[in-house]
Amino acid sequence: MATEKTEVVIVGVGAAGGILAAELGKAGMKVIGLERGPRLATSDFTPHDELRYFERQELRPSVKRQPVTWRPNTNARAKPLPVLNYGNQAGGGTVHYGAVSWRFHEDDFRARSRTIERYGVSAIPEGSSLADWPLTYGDLEPYYDRAEYDLGVSGKAGNLEGRRIEGGNIFEAPRRREYPLPALLPDQSGVLFEAGARKLGYHPFSTPRAILSQPYQGRPGCTYCGFCQAFGCHVGAKSSILVTKLPEADKTGNFQLRTGTMCYRLNSDNSGRATGVAYYGPDGSDNTIEADLVILAPFIYDNTRLLLVSKTAKFPNGFANSSGQVGKHLMAHITPRVFATFDDRFVNIYMGPSAQKHSLDDFNADNFDHSGLGFIRGAQISVSPADLEAGPIGAAMSMDPPPGTPRWGAGYRDFLAKYFARHAAIVAQTENLPYADQMIDLDPDVRDQWGLPAPRLTYDWRRENEITRVEFMARKLEELGRAMGATRVWRGRMGPGAPGAHHEGGTRMGTDPATSVVNRFGQSWDVPNLFIVGSSTFPSMTGFNPTLTIQALAYMSADAIVKRYQSNPGPLV
Amino acid sequence: MSKHDSARRAFLVRAAAGAGAVAGAGLLPDASGQNRGERHEAPAQLHSRGGAFFNQEDAATIAAFTERLMPGAAGKPGAREAGVLRYIDLALAGAYADLQDFYRRSLRQLDVYCRKTYQESFRRLDAARQDEVITALERDQVTGFTWPSGLEFFNIIRTHTMEGLFADPIYGGNQNFAGWRLVGFPGAQSIFTPADMRSRQAFTREPIIGLEASDESAKGRA
Repeated sequence: MATEKTEVVIVGVGAAGGILAAELGKAGMKVIGLERGPRLATSDFTPHDELRYFERQELRPSVKRQPVTWRPNTNARAKPLPVLNYGNQAGGGTVHYGAVSWRFHEDDFRARSRTIERYGVSAIPEGSSLADWPLTYGDLEPYYDRAEYDLGVSGKAGNLEGRRIEGGNIFEAPRRREYPLPALLPDQSGVLFEAGARKLGYHPFSTPRAILSQPYQGRPGCTYCGFCQAFGCHVGAKSSILVTKLPEADKTGNFQLRTGTMCYRLNSDNSGRATGVAYYGPDGSDNTIEADLVILAPFIYDNTRLLLVSKTAKFPNGFANSSGQVGKHLMAHITPRVFATFDDRFVNIYMGPSAQKHSLDDFNADNFDHSGLGFIRGAQISVSPADLEAGPIGAAMSMDPPPGTPRWGAGYRDFLAKYFARHAAIVAQTENLPYADQMIDLDPDVRDQWGLPAPRLTYDWRRENEITRVEFMARKLEELGRAMGATRVWRGRMGPGAPGAHHEGGTRMGTDPATSVVNRFGQSWDVPNLFIVGSSTFPSMTGFNPTLTIQALAYMSADAIVKRYQSNPGPLV
Repeated sequence: MSKHDSARRAFLVRAAAGAGAVAGAGLLPDASGQNRGERHEAPAQLHSRGGAFFNQEDAATIAAFTERLMPGAAGKPGAREAGVLRYIDLALAGAYADLQDFYRRSLRQLDVYCRKTYQESFRRLDAARQDEVITALERDQVTGFTWPSGLEFFNIIRTHTMEGLFADPIYGGNQNFAGWRLVGFPGAQSIFTPADMRSRQAFTREPIIGLEASDESAKGRA
């Protein structure tokens, strides 16, 4: 058992933790980062292996050793989820992610107000806890800019300081300057999507991605190998935290990374101030770090779990949980999809970065009139392989054959043989609303390899607003598939209500300590020397992938800690 | 071929002959007519038996079952040719060891069901009857399945069949890139050029790339 002292301890060194480690280290703060998984290197990612990384999910947590359970409602018994869609190594999810890097829209930060202004308060479904963010797009824009340039994001601007630019996303919020790198080359599915969407009058564009389209900061450009989502990049062109911020943090001389460690409790004193963390080492040892500042930056489950297991006399409902909001408002993306096959040509969708290759934003956020549609908020629409990964195992596991074609036997064999290289999927990523009863708590029956209670999700996306939107989007996707010239277009099956990718919520940010857990800087209202940074703080989720916003928030929090908190530790708001 | 490999091969041939004598000729269609002195036994034949996990009867059942899920035809390699049995057998002895009981119980239930319904084990049924059984499993309409259910077994064995067909050959299946050739996947290519990205045609540039070797060097070895 070891006890040591440091200025800052960061739990989870991923999309947010890696940025904080580097930025605080550069400011001279002594930082220890605790990371549950290993630290891998670019050389670990060659050659590519679909079974190991896509199918067996080696860059994700083990569902057996680190179970997370799910139930659709409080009456049902929770069962372990079969797949855990987040990271489990230094760099976190950015190691295996598809690197899709959006800035949220201006109205994404005020989805509640915007909805009321345009459609009236009755448009917000009963039971939804939809809330505005405690910051605006303008507040975050400098940090989006910094993230894009610091990490390396490729794309084409669609709104330069208010000037709309065809070819970029004309619905995006105004940006101060172009992307640091030009858009990635489209693959053939992107070419088809571009043409089909234009035919329908929509505004397609190459999806912005944290993947280098040309050499940048000493790293090489993308080789378009296609082993992207679910895989580590074999040349380091994916701007993961592993190849961007971790080397930077190392260079400061102020950062120590502890891999194979599991934080199991936040420690505090009688005044309620955080004093550090307790963690298990890779050898099973029980260790303590005393720190002036504690930063939580793991995937969202562990924020809620650590707070709930660290309850004290002062915080009997969980540390920093006087609001009772910890664990609530869980959100996740749902992805209705259609499959399209082309008899007159090949698509070869296994080429090029695999996630959300080409996009349109016409039906996202409040970019279209929802009057009379029966739902609010939208979805980001894109063309992808069957499951964001384009190998044949992915196709066999994720592409439902068209109606009339079996899932096995000679008919299935011939379907796959003919259409594997002639298919595309068109996918909507929906902005599901927050509801207070969608939550994370502690499973009373299931424990993980360290003996901690498993995070338990209570969640069912099948609500009226969401079901109506899924149907609306599915029709748009079918329309797109036909406009792309597909011979055949059909819908994929929807899941049984479980959360999909990109979880948000659990430690919501807000302006009121009574109804939120943290302020705009991720600082706990209850415990000012505790910061929580990541998508767990999102009050709403948007139809966009969360990572660039997580990273912008991390830069913003780092800035606030270095420039304001460090000299005057106390509430920042 | 090393001395060890020769010894192992001889052992496998003896074991197969022994099993065949017990279970009947239908168990080992590939073993008949083999010249035991032949140095270059085709990989597909070595790979058609269990051994790492499955006993000979279960191996024959899995081989028959997976071949119905992905049947071979002229120019279209199926599960048997790709070595799906070998993939599943090795996986159950390693990465999927926690599924050993799942398979044991599933195979036992399958055998009981087939004997009750057809008075014969699955592997001896004709293809149409085998398909009938698989259809009933997929619809979860088999009697006598408690755990795993018929559908659970179908889903797992379908998944493992696809893995065995399409995972890199280093895992024991996809022999000679049979699965990748079936669907036109070029393997773990580390780069596609702008011209590749612009093409509307099938990608046919050789070699197919695997973890151990490209198919050209594999051919060179054979």
